[in-house]
Amino acid sequence: MAKESFDKEIQFLRMLVLTSGAYSRQQFADRLGISVHTFDKTIKRLKEVVSSVQRGLPEEQSKEFAETIRYHYLDSSDPMLLFLFRAKSLKESESQRLSLLLAALHEKPLTAMELLDACCSALPASLALPDEKTIRADLKYLEQVGVIKKTEGPRPYRYRIHNDLARELSADELNDLYDFVDIMANTQLPSLQGYLLRDGLKKHRSRLRGGEPSIEPFIYKYHYYSRILDEAHLFALLGAIRARQTVGFLYFSPKKETSYASKNTNPLFERDTEGKQETVLPLKIVYDHQYGRWYLLGHHHRHGIKKYRLEGLTQIDEGESVSEERFAENRALLELRLKHSWLIDTGRAVKVRIRFFNPGPGIPNFVKERVLLQGQWGTVEDEEGGDSFLYEIDVNGTTEIKPWIRSFGSSCEVLAPPGLRQEMIEEWKEIKAYYESV
Amino acid sequence: MNPFEKIFNYQILSRLEDSGTFMVTAHERSWLKTMLRHPAASEAFAPGTLARLAAMLEHDPALQTDGLLLHKAASKEKQVYHALLRPLRQAITGRSLVTLSYGIKNGRSYSEQTAFPYKLEYSMVKREWYLLWYHLRHRALMSTKLQKIAEARQAPCPEETYAKLLATVQSLMENRKRTADVIVVRQYNAELSRILYAFSCFEKEVRYDAERNEYTIRVSFQNDECEYLLSKARFLGKRVRLARGGHMQRRMLESATKALARYGET
Repeated sequence: MAKESFDKEIQFLRMLVLTSGAYSRQQFADRLGISVHTFDKTIKRLKEVVSSVQRGLPEEQSKEFAETIRYHYLDSSDPMLLFLFRAKSLKESESQRLSLLLAALHEKPLTAMELLDACCSALPASLALPDEKTIRADLKYLEQVGVIKKTEGPRPYRYRIHNDLARELSADELNDLYDFVDIMANTQLPSLQGYLLRDGLKKHRSRLRGGEPSIEPFIYKYHYYSRILDEAHLFALLGAIRARQTVGFLYFSPKKETSYASKNTNPLFERDTEGKQETVLPLKIVYDHQYGRWYLLGHHHRHGIKKYRLEGLTQIDEGESVSEERFAENRALLELRLKHSWLIDTGRAVKVRIRFFNPGPGIPNFVKERVLLQGQWGTVEDEEGGDSFLYEIDVNGTTEIKPWIRSFGSSCEVLAPPGLRQEMIEEWKEIKAYYESV
Repeated sequence: MNPFEKIFNYQILSRLEDSGTFMVTAHERSWLKTMLRHPAASEAFAPGTLARLAAMLEHDPALQTDGLLLHKAASKEKQVYHALLRPLRQAITGRSLVTLSYGIKNGRSYSEQTAFPYKLEYSMVKREWYLLWYHLRHRALMSTKLQKIAEARQAPCPEETYAKLLATVQSLMENRKRTADVIVVRQYNAELSRILYAFSCFEKEVRYDAERNEYTIRVSFQNDECEYLLSKARFLGKRVRLARGGHMQRRMLESATKALARYGET
């Protein structure tokens, strides 16, 4: 698991992206509980990464950082926040060596000794020359992350670069691959590795075309592009679920005003005492498409099923393994309780009945279309007269489904349960009061 | 799998770019292998390409997310890939025009219309692909579901015409740009994170008035997105209030009044 987990950078970027430009340096720093000096240092470092990843934009450096990473719909096919995953710091000598090794292998397969020679002759004089042991360790690492592999044949082994994807496909096939990767990274989960692959393929295609800029044909509307920040924790958690291992983490509940809405200092940057240390057996990860947010659902030895927002998780550590039996038992229980969750509510199920009103003759029935598209497992039945239809769903509690119902405005009427019906009436009264004076 | 592997480091990346080296990690291949299992893959690739990709990825494990990752409140995935994406993408990147035959909502259809295609847009809400294009004869921006396009034939476009059309499209889009101010009702400031997440799919700017402890989200959108923004505001209910822009406010008042009438409340 990652020692350097980038919790600070992630939190910093999330706040920057979500509040885009709301705070002054001082206010921003206050909310994260850091000094303005640390704020400036962090911005400087992130800018460095961004400008290095985004070539050919020297003037970008002077631009306000928040503006640089702001969401612009028409340019949104390049996921701006991807650079976070490029931010792992590395010694100059190591980054030089690894890239030299890959460049040499890009030419032809080579043995470790040949690579040592290639490295020594190409490294700048200012850097200490590597020894054989270092090169062998580098090769082992590159092999482990799957970038190179040993070729078949007698010793000494030759290594070759493992990039058949680029080498064996024709230009047309490469275009199809690029499109597919772009579409899947944007519409499916997880997406992080897809964005990384897209980035590599994009540069490769551009080289094949002699650097001629390409037009990005695809855009994705109503895409929660900042969700990749939360994917940073996803793989560690998925790994722990597969290994039937508990995880420990310091949790900052987003509800508790620890980061955005209050002036409480954020202990992430200073003291570790204000978050809550939690240990839980992870069982499922849930992605909520309504808000573009991630949840971890797990089993807590004292409190049973517990839910956490992924954005509140920091300093994740693997814990002990549990038996397959215990894991299966907990998972079965969670699956049972989740069966009727609109999002993640595991409370008691209630039957919700709603009458939806069709928009009228001659108008395409966008109401029904949307109910069928988003109504999850609810059922739809037309009513006599053709003016309306009934929607019925067994759902855990009414809190999570309520915003969706409200979003239909006057196109629907809650019939049951009576409590929800009454709440709707009260809320519409309040909303009406907001605008009556206008 | 650690997403912060040192192999992804930005300095390595920019050096590889200098040396023209293409590198791909096991992580990325595993992801691709997983995605190739999606039904969209068989539409996106010729059978021969798909088989070659499968062979190249034979020794890579797929990501194991089955049953671990749950989607909630998603729109049904009607469509991920569409057969027209390839030719239309070629037309757009090749700076060409297309001759379109297509149908519209009320069942009418048009044929042989000259179109300047500029983007292929996927709606994460409707889960469908649209072609965004400029209607040369009507001088209007259009958005047509790929599902409704019967035929699209590429047609050449002279370089100067291309530059002119692109400029026209850009200025029309600029004209269609609207902004709305969404004020976070102060007593819900604690839910700011949720509210900002909900608007994170829009271009936006947030202002914070420290004296009043009040947040205002200025959302930018195209005028045909007005309805979607209103449904977002209704979705969040009493947490937010639309300010400025009489039209949007009147629509909210109308919604609330009519909704109350449904319940017999006036």
